Amino acid sequence: MPTHTTIIDDHDIVRRVIAGDINAFGLLVRKYQGHILAVVGNHIPYNQAEEVAHDVFVKAYQSLLTFRFKGGFKQWLSVIAVRTCYDYWRKEYRSREIPMSSCSEEEQNFVERATAKQFIPATFQENTQKEARELLDRALVKLSPEDRMVLELVYFEGLSAKEAAGLLGWSVANVKIRLFRSRKKLRKIITGSLED
Amino acid sequence: MRFDKKNYAQLENALIKAYREKEKPQVSEQWEMSVMQHIRSLGALHFKTSPFELFEQFGWRFAPAACVVIVLLTFLMVKLDFAPEDEMAKFSIDHPIEASYIEMPGL
Repeated sequence: MPTHTTIIDDHDIVRRVIAGDINAFGLLVRKYQGHILAVVGNHIPYNQAEEVAHDVFVKAYQSLLTFRFKGGFKQWLSVIAVRTCYDYWRKEYRSREIPMSSCSEEEQNFVERATAKQFIPATFQENTQKEARELLDRALVKLSPEDRMVLELVYFEGLSAKEAAGLLGWSVANVKIRLFRSRKKLRKIITGSLED
Repeated sequence: MRFDKKNYAQLENALIKAYREKEKPQVSEQWEMSVMQHIRSLGALHFKTSPFELFEQFGWRFAPAACVVIVLLTFLMVKLDFAPEDEMAKFSIDHPIEASYIEMPGL
């Protein structure tokens, strides 16, 4: 939760940038690059995260005149970051290549271990995480950008429907409906690829 | 492999865990410099003042209101049976003698 002083500081910097002090924007870039990289890193492939984070700050600068000094700059920037990630997946979705539906042997092994009766998540090794991530990435790439974003925000990151709605600019009802449908789709994709 | 509710829930938990423990990207100072270089190349921000720019910025905000007006007008036209050509054709068929260009508009 940003403190009152932080908000005032950010607002002062934004005012300076709007007044023509472009270099002051560097203070915001330095302050929030970690946060933005964390947000972007959750949604975008590792090797693309730098470029997307770059775009987030450029878009933030270009939209700075629309910033209303009521809320926190961090929250405003997070909205831009999430929507930039959404745009990224929309572009990718148009030019996507559907991966083969069958899973690799490693992924099959991972699923067998993950669904075993004596499975304890804390004992998962690093390479198991990698297989899980690959399985998940393979499934997520088959979802539409809308389904993907809502699943990642609410289901995987644990945000509330209201928070996700605020970040995506959707209604809460829309988020809830889409979440329900996308969870079903994800299950179908994952079980479908493993039952083949 | 077949899934029941319980083992799919276990798999879901493992996937959520993997998602949350994804490696976070790091950036160098050079990245920060390249962002600032890009931003400087854009120049200082300026408020839009020309009518075209203002329309571009605010014009689309009237689109929902315009759509509502169009729907309302269409509804009214249908409800009031407002179809001048039909009315004129009907009038000239029903009253072929009185129908003239002068009488049509009600003069």
